[in-house]
Amino acid sequence: MSARAGEYAISCTSEDQTGVTTLRHEQELDRFLAEVERRAIRIAEISIRDRDEALDLVQNAMIKLVRNYAERPSEEWTPLFYRILQNGVRDWHRRQAVRNRVMVWFGRPANDDRDFDVVAAAPDPAGRTPEEQIESGEAMQCLELALRDLPQRQREAFMLRTFEGLNVAGTAVAMGCSEGSVKTHYSRAVHSLRETLGEHWQ
Amino acid sequence: MNERHDDLAASAEQHLADKAHELFDESVQALDAQTQSRLNRGRQRALAELDSRAGFRTPSKWVPAAGVAAVAVFAVVLWSGKPPVDEISPPATTSDLEILLNQDSFEMLQDLEFYSWIDLDAELDAGANVG
Repeated sequence: MSARAGEYAISCTSEDQTGVTTLRHEQELDRFLAEVERRAIRIAEISIRDRDEALDLVQNAMIKLVRNYAERPSEEWTPLFYRILQNGVRDWHRRQAVRNRVMVWFGRPANDDRDFDVVAAAPDPAGRTPEEQIESGEAMQCLELALRDLPQRQREAFMLRTFEGLNVAGTAVAMGCSEGSVKTHYSRAVHSLRETLGEHWQ
Repeated sequence: MNERHDDLAASAEQHLADKAHELFDESVQALDAQTQSRLNRGRQRALAELDSRAGFRTPSKWVPAAGVAAVAVFAVVLWSGKPPVDEISPPATTSDLEILLNQDSFEMLQDLEFYSWIDLDAELDAGANVG
């Protein structure tokens, strides 16, 4: 093999390896996003009470994660993804507050309630009787209502810890605060929820 | 006595967290096909970002092309004797107005807070990487 042919072979091998690494990386990201997206849509939906808007927020979070953090170690993706998503939710609430103030100024109702019904929005889960579905749907509806009454940071801490299963350190990254703050927010959230739901949930 | 009370409280909190987790998982499993399909499309769109970035960042493809382009521009400038100058440029106020009236600019202005957050986030990340 001539020196030139050898150089070409080395170049091809290097490009092949880069291609394989890229493909593997893409597959890993795909798996991660596929695992996280369904829980993320529900978490966003509970926070903003609008599935379409929640879908947009989740998609934006996925795009920003890929664009800005794809090269980070995969263990960091979950807290980073939720940090982006939670920031999106907070921005959404700020924009809604401004929008509502403007609507009130122009004499329109501040909240064009779209008759969002959590139970009606939830399709039939498999393998349960209608009674069980209703009971479960009602319990989830109670939980969602109780969560919406919580201060935003407490709600975030509870959902990230309980629904997503993030540990204290991961939740702190996702919320952009200290681990001590996470513990405080979570503890207060649980106490409030127990007071609100306690009698139905014991 | 106090320890027993704390244990009971901790147990009740754990029960609440477990039940909340269970209900949440059920609601995730119950997501309708349309939502899942939209999530899937969103994921593919996000992954397309990775492809475009990978293509753009491959130096072996872009460096020679950029070099050839730079040489070509340099040669044209030398050949013509002077750098090209716009003979007619619109008044600054007109172009400013066009920029402001552009739909994208309006959207950007509406999301100014969001863009400032992205900048802040990137700075924080850069700071974290340095630290």
